Amino acid sequence: MLEVLELFDRPAVLHSIYLIGSLILFFIGLYGLLAKRHLLKIFVSIEIMELAVYLILIAIATTPGETAPILSDGFTAFTSMSDPIPQALTLTAIVIGVAVTALGTSMAIQYHRLTGKVSVGEMTELKD
Amino acid sequence: MTLHFTPVWFIAVPLLLAFLAPLWVRWRLLMPVLFSAQVALFVLALSWLPTVRIAPILETIVIAPPLGIHLHLDAIALLLVALFSFAGAIVSAFIWLDNGAAHLRERPAFILMLLLIAGSNGMVLTGDIFNLYVFIEIVGVSAYALAAIRRDKTALEAGLKYVIVGSVAAIFILFAIVLLYLQTGQLNIAALAQAFGNMPAQMQLLIGLLMLIGLSIKAELFPFNFWVPDIYRGSDPEITALYSGVLVKAFLFVLFHLTFILLADPTVARNWLMALGAITMIVAELVALRQNDLRRMLAYSSLGQVGLITLALAFASEATTAGALFHMVNHTLIKVLLFLLAALMLRQYASLKLTDVHGLSRTMPLAAGLFVLGALAVLGLPPFSGFISKLWILKGFADVQTFWPVALILTAALIEAGYYFRWIRVFYAPTDALPMAKIEGEKTLNYAPLLVIAGLLIVLGVAPFLLEDWLQQAAQALLGREALLNAVLGVQP
Repeated sequence: MLEVLELFDRPAVLHSIYLIGSLILFFIGLYGLLAKRHLLKIFVSIEIMELAVYLILIAIATTPGETAPILSDGFTAFTSMSDPIPQALTLTAIVIGVAVTALGTSMAIQYHRLTGKVSVGEMTELKD
Repeated sequence: MTLHFTPVWFIAVPLLLAFLAPLWVRWRLLMPVLFSAQVALFVLALSWLPTVRIAPILETIVIAPPLGIHLHLDAIALLLVALFSFAGAIVSAFIWLDNGAAHLRERPAFILMLLLIAGSNGMVLTGDIFNLYVFIEIVGVSAYALAAIRRDKTALEAGLKYVIVGSVAAIFILFAIVLLYLQTGQLNIAALAQAFGNMPAQMQLLIGLLMLIGLSIKAELFPFNFWVPDIYRGSDPEITALYSGVLVKAFLFVLFHLTFILLADPTVARNWLMALGAITMIVAELVALRQNDLRRMLAYSSLGQVGLITLALAFASEATTAGALFHMVNHTLIKVLLFLLAALMLRQYASLKLTDVHGLSRTMPLAAGLFVLGALAVLGLPPFSGFISKLWILKGFADVQTFWPVALILTAALIEAGYYFRWIRVFYAPTDALPMAKIEGEKTLNYAPLLVIAGLLIVLGVAPFLLEDWLQQAAQALLGREALLNAVLGVQP
């Protein structure tokens, strides 16, 4: 039993699990984007896809056993520390993602108030 | 103390002015600030030309590359920055002089337009790939909001479509950047270029495909451009002038900059990108034939020109690249002219359907005349600059005995002639109806920015040598992978 648990703790196995999980999440988002017509569901799907990409970045760049890259009592050298860049990048990307989603949903709400429509299928104003 | 001009000004000045918007509102200076900022940046860009000709300017922010972020101002970046500021200046002058479109002269539009310009400049200048993503998103968010700024049904629909398609594109770009970082541990584009060749071939292909999908959506290449005409139809024509003139050019540059620098041998991607460009061009021109709304027609015409520029850039020879860059400049000028004309016509006619604009030349003779001029320039007839740029592209292909693009480009020009003359015939159709009464606020001063563009199209057509050196250097800078790597990574203290 213990061996099985230790097997799961090995970076290669752990990374594959994270990778497979994130990719499944990505394709769930892609499916929602293509199959759903409701505006809010589309934004939710986009968010799920985005999240999957963040997860890949964070999960693969970190290995179990690494500590936060902060020099403090007891830690005076940058050894066995995780790479701080992916985390900084993910934070930035999350902020951007929130801004875009907020903009999109606020537009969707305004559009609903004006027209009563919620589906991209009903958006025909711009066709000839 | 003297002020020290650096490339970061092209990004920082518009951002700072945008954040100070409440001040300009209080002092009633919004439009003057918008206009003079663009003019100042344009003059600044021109004043740098002699320096950049000798050697590209590298500006390091805090830490030297490859660890820190740096801005890279070479001949091509300078060309595009100057072009963007010029297009921005023309559009803001037009909005300023114009009496209609009040929502474009308020604070939100002011801020968003400055952010759009700042982001586009940043995309062209930055040497760091994550920084590039941030600028892509800045440009994206301001473009989505600008599309919906009129806040009526059509504008909101355009904005929603844009935000959905645009954020999906951004996810693909982010995915490619994430994979690049995980594979190489680098974010600096030059350092990535060195490491790219050592990656497994499948990984290279995957990253390339993700990048291509993301950037093709943003740069409006077939088959990812289905959304473009809707957006161009729903947004204000003044704004679409910026999309077609600034945004698409910035994304095209990013696409080809990354292709040429990441791939040690750009011929790997040559056939694919050329095919993409050729299909985009032909499909868009054919569909444009059937459009019954002026803005949709202009959107498809814009896509056709983007396809032509892609076709010529992808060939990766110096002659076609210089021609393509010249055509980029021309296309920006022409499409800004045509979309601003569409804005004026829309004000007068309320609808730009083919059946509604019969005999337009009797009511708006100057607008119809300028439309003819723009159409001739886009078709590439002398003495307009479009002729020279198409000639350079065709000559570039013919010199190396590649004739299929030549045939395609000429066919596309014929189709283009078909639909532009269809509209011109309607404008000049004889009608019994009296000329429409001019709507209030229509004045000749509105046409001043448009006449500037028209003049420039003729000047560049008669005297292309004014830009020739600069364009040659820009083409060398775009294709010169080694030089760029050396400049960024070679000499480091």
